[in-house]
Amino acid sequence: MGLEFGRIARGAILSAGLAFGVAGAASAQDYPHDTVTLVTHSSAGGGTDVFLREMVGFLGKAMGANFVVENVTGGSGANAMAKLATSPADGSIFYGTTPTYINTSLLSNPEYDFTDLEGVVNVFMDPQIVFVKADSPYQSLTDLIEAAKADPTAVPFGVTTPGSLDRQVMEQFKAVTGVTSPVITHDGGGELLISVLNGTVAVAIGEIQELGPQIEAGEIRLLASYTEDRLPRFPDLPTAREQGVDLVVNKFRGIAGPRGIPQDVKDLWAAGIARVLEDPDFKAWYEAQSLVPTLMPAAEYEAFLNTFAEDQKAFLIQYGILKQ
Amino acid sequence: MDGISTAFHILTSSPAVFAAIGGVAWGIIGGALPGISPSIALALLLPFTYGMDPITAIVLLGATYVGAEYGGSIPAILINTPGTNAAAATVVDGYYMHREGRGGEALGISLQSGVVGGLFGLIFLIVFTEPLSRVALAFNFPAYFALGILGLSVIVSLSNGSLIKGLMAATLGLMIATIGTDPLSGVTRFTFGEPELLTGIEYVIVMVGVFAMSELMMTANSPDWGKTDGRQTRIKLPGFRKWRKLWRAQAIGSGVGIFEGVMPGAGGSIAAFMSYNEAKRWSPEPEKFGKGSEEGIAAPEAANNAVACTALVPVLSFGIPGSNSAAILMGGMLIHGLTPGPMLFQKEPEFVYGLFGGLAVANISQLMLGILMMTPALWLVNRPKPYLMAAIFALVFSGIYSIHNSTYDLYLVLLFGVVGYLLRVFGFPFLPLVLGLVLGYLVEANYRRSLELTAGDHRIFWETPISLGLLSLAAVFVIGSAIRDIVLARRAARAVAEGKSA
Repeated sequence: MGLEFGRIARGAILSAGLAFGVAGAASAQDYPHDTVTLVTHSSAGGGTDVFLREMVGFLGKAMGANFVVENVTGGSGANAMAKLATSPADGSIFYGTTPTYINTSLLSNPEYDFTDLEGVVNVFMDPQIVFVKADSPYQSLTDLIEAAKADPTAVPFGVTTPGSLDRQVMEQFKAVTGVTSPVITHDGGGELLISVLNGTVAVAIGEIQELGPQIEAGEIRLLASYTEDRLPRFPDLPTAREQGVDLVVNKFRGIAGPRGIPQDVKDLWAAGIARVLEDPDFKAWYEAQSLVPTLMPAAEYEAFLNTFAEDQKAFLIQYGILKQ
Repeated sequence: MDGISTAFHILTSSPAVFAAIGGVAWGIIGGALPGISPSIALALLLPFTYGMDPITAIVLLGATYVGAEYGGSIPAILINTPGTNAAAATVVDGYYMHREGRGGEALGISLQSGVVGGLFGLIFLIVFTEPLSRVALAFNFPAYFALGILGLSVIVSLSNGSLIKGLMAATLGLMIATIGTDPLSGVTRFTFGEPELLTGIEYVIVMVGVFAMSELMMTANSPDWGKTDGRQTRIKLPGFRKWRKLWRAQAIGSGVGIFEGVMPGAGGSIAAFMSYNEAKRWSPEPEKFGKGSEEGIAAPEAANNAVACTALVPVLSFGIPGSNSAAILMGGMLIHGLTPGPMLFQKEPEFVYGLFGGLAVANISQLMLGILMMTPALWLVNRPKPYLMAAIFALVFSGIYSIHNSTYDLYLVLLFGVVGYLLRVFGFPFLPLVLGLVLGYLVEANYRRSLELTAGDHRIFWETPISLGLLSLAAVFVIGSAIRDIVLARRAARAVAEGKSA
């Protein structure tokens, strides 16, 4: 039953992809494949899934191929990495990256890990935002740090899960500022948001996409963004750096593929993504999500991913999550 | 009033009614297949909704959730296999009734109770979303911990006579719950280097192993192997007179379900067990529980259908999914450009009323579809036993395999089959094990998080009013049961003594 449905589902998605492809045939480049599969470990409706599905409509036009999104869920990305690692490195199949796949590689020791994949191009950085409840007494990071120094347990910090990126950022925040507040882990972003709203934790880190409705309803207040520059949609929100906390977080969203992808395919992707990022319709979408376009071609992206993985590994070892 | 006419208008002018009916039908089938949990049934459906208008799509998904919660009780009653986690409490009395040849009656009770619970849940969802959302916010770590302890206190009355054996089974369940990644530090525990164990063992694998696999082993042992016996072959809805006996259990189930559904992380299985226990406590015939009690089916089935409705409260009011199924439903809303959260009621009132209307249609059509689909299901399980057992074996294996597409899970389910077999042979009750399993994580994680907040100070558990209240309730239950047992034992001893002297 499940298998049957999967096949029908894939058929439906494929035909949707074909429709995009026909629309984009006019500006066709010489991409070596007619149909390109983009794999995500995220389930339908999840963050990366929404991002890829939004992007494929524009990619078809820019690169002259049909793009199909396939959800290979399970094992926090382990199944998707295994699928990629055992697929041909010819430019017919790629993976939508987030820090999750590096984290999973380090934490779960899967059969195939991020070293079996290589970075092709980075597309966005997803800004990490510090937020508090709307009626919280803290108006800035400085307020927060002062209160936490005066009484650490009175200002508990909330994070999603033990090995997550936001936990790492909170621990870095503590190291940079010298604060000793407890860092409370949750089962995910939803539980964390409840904890902030009912005052169990004083502060947390999130992304615009998931915080949007709460910001609009005035239930939470933003204190800082861990970005290089202020976000266009929130011009009054200072960066952490402006408030004296020297921290920038790079939660990346990009494309990786099986190791050994030919250079000309990588170049086509860099050019294609550059065009997609300038498309006004796509721009309207990603600006509403406050995604920061950050194009990195293959060589630069690969180096970035390796550095990211090393930092992540050091963090996991330091906090005893990973044994040396 | 305005809302009702809006809902009616939306339903009559779009294919949402058909989506509601189709969703329930698919949900019942999905829920009935072990391994296809409500969330998997929803996930399989999601790609088909891309081309639909938002209301039809979300009604379809919501109706599937409703149907799946009911569908889980079908294999629970007929083949001793909970189709969903939340149906685990239905197994005991449901399967007992089926073995007595009253399977059709049991299915009827489950169906009718599901509809009652679903409608109650829906009314609460529509009328009290706002106040219910405050209940969700009021629950912090110590409160969740206390809720888990209250759930565990049920073990005392679910142990069928031998409290020591019940506690041992519960401890085994709690031990299984510790396998996987530590909720606070993230270190791995008892995974023996197996990557498949990193996220812990799926509850359904343990339940299917303990209930269904061990049942197959027992049946293969039994002397009447190969015979079919005359059993009910038609579904039988409870009549008015029987319903008068069931309403109390259904009211308890609906109440507990409404309450638990609202809280993220609590969910259907806890609601089912707690309502089972409460129904037993307040029943005029508590001794029947575990031996084919009709109320023992009515309460958990009303509860898990009520959960399916009120689980939407945190989604609609905060944009926070309280369960895997609610998360997929929310994903569906995002795909269709609807942002669940505090602004949804103001920005998309039509959508909200349409969704409510669709869920009402879904709950009512569940009754009709249930009647249509049960008779073939009953016919199927009355085939000669060798065929039936082989088919169940195949069904269980394919269902478990489909969870992660992993053969590792098949070995696990066999292992838990052996565990279940041994528990049966040595007379250990199953329910405490399942209860320990589903509550272990909730209790442990929230206990430790509470203490992180206070740097190890236990006073937080009685300084939080909700936590104090629930913990006191748990203490009353445990002590009350203990006193009752002692009184009963003395009375029995006296009766024996008097019998001897006479």
